[in-house]
Amino acid sequence: MGKILIVDDTLFMRTLLKNILFSGGHTIVGEAGDGEEAVVKYKELKPDLVTMDIVMPKQNGIEALKAIKALDPAARIVMCTAVGQEQMVKLAIKSGAKGYIVKPFQAPKVLEEVKNVLAL
Amino acid sequence: MKEVPVKIEHNNQWVVVKLGVGEDRIVIPAPINKEVLFKTVSDLAERKNTLIVTAKTDTEVVYKILSHEKVLQVLKKLILNACNAYRLMAYFMSPAIRGGVMVQDAQWEKGSVVVVLSGIWFVSATKQICVPVVDVAAIELTKRDVQGKPTDVVRIDHLDSGEVSSSFVLCPLSTLQVLYNFLKDTTKSMDMKGTELDGIDQQVAMLVYSGMDSHAIENMLNIPPKQLSIIYDKILKLGLAEVVIIRREIQLTTKGVRYISDATKAQTN
Repeated sequence: MGKILIVDDTLFMRTLLKNILFSGGHTIVGEAGDGEEAVVKYKELKPDLVTMDIVMPKQNGIEALKAIKALDPAARIVMCTAVGQEQMVKLAIKSGAKGYIVKPFQAPKVLEEVKNVLAL
Repeated sequence: MKEVPVKIEHNNQWVVVKLGVGEDRIVIPAPINKEVLFKTVSDLAERKNTLIVTAKTDTEVVYKILSHEKVLQVLKKLILNACNAYRLMAYFMSPAIRGGVMVQDAQWEKGSVVVVLSGIWFVSATKQICVPVVDVAAIELTKRDVQGKPTDVVRIDHLDSGEVSSSFVLCPLSTLQVLYNFLKDTTKSMDMKGTELDGIDQQVAMLVYSGMDSHAIENMLNIPPKQLSIIYDKILKLGLAEVVIIRREIQLTTKGVRYISDATKAQTN
């Protein structure tokens, strides 16, 4: 079980992920609504894992991923992608993301991916 | 004519027969005693190891054939090559994308695309993949990089084991346009405007997809059971979901309250 930071610009998606991850026994240490806030919260909270949306205001998920990886190369970041964003996922994996989950979320798949990435 | 052992459904029972397989037909021996010409086959579907063959001459007859994977592969190939369907030679990649991410070892394969009543078949020398029409989520005429060049393709998004997958078809543009129109027409019954559900209805549908039960949805969206029930009705009416279980909420009567009061006393004494 891990300490998780959820990054997504929509409250609905954050709440949904929070519910799914909580049901899997994880602790949600914080939430961020954009990439800039995600980097600040990462420094402050030092989570075991970050779930990172790709399309967000201010700083998008890929930029935030790179900024967090620059701060902490061992950071475990799971990208949240929508169908049709396959090129973005490739870019994110190249930039150091450890995994991805696809929207709309399915609880078992989210928990499985988080478990796999936490085990890395 | 070669003979292969299969099980075939007859009067709601599976019977073992030696199926005769020829170049243009199958011969089903007793107790069915039928000969099915491939050109009379109007539909072909596959469920696990069962092939569902619909043949139409004067009347429509459905044959369910159960056999080993290899036998079914031969049957599928023969039927798809000759059945009554929309068919074109093309390159295809299926699935090319699964769950939003490119499939690592996906390659363009030379073969044919066969569209029957219930599905779209991708057929090559080694593969026969069926995308049931009911699983088609979207069809788009788009461009994709092929050997470094943006090339016209038809993209078919479909559900595969609960995940959205995409397959691509590549052939001359004029043929693609015909295929696109044909597929759009075949899958017309699945088309929706996208405005049938409002914001909260869509959120409910998404939470159902995420695996949440009614109680969790009510809590998360802070809506009363009655409102959720109305939204469920809307989703059900649109054919976007089906009822899997009906739960009941109950309230204790005076007798019930007395009973649990007594039970509590008994436990504490």
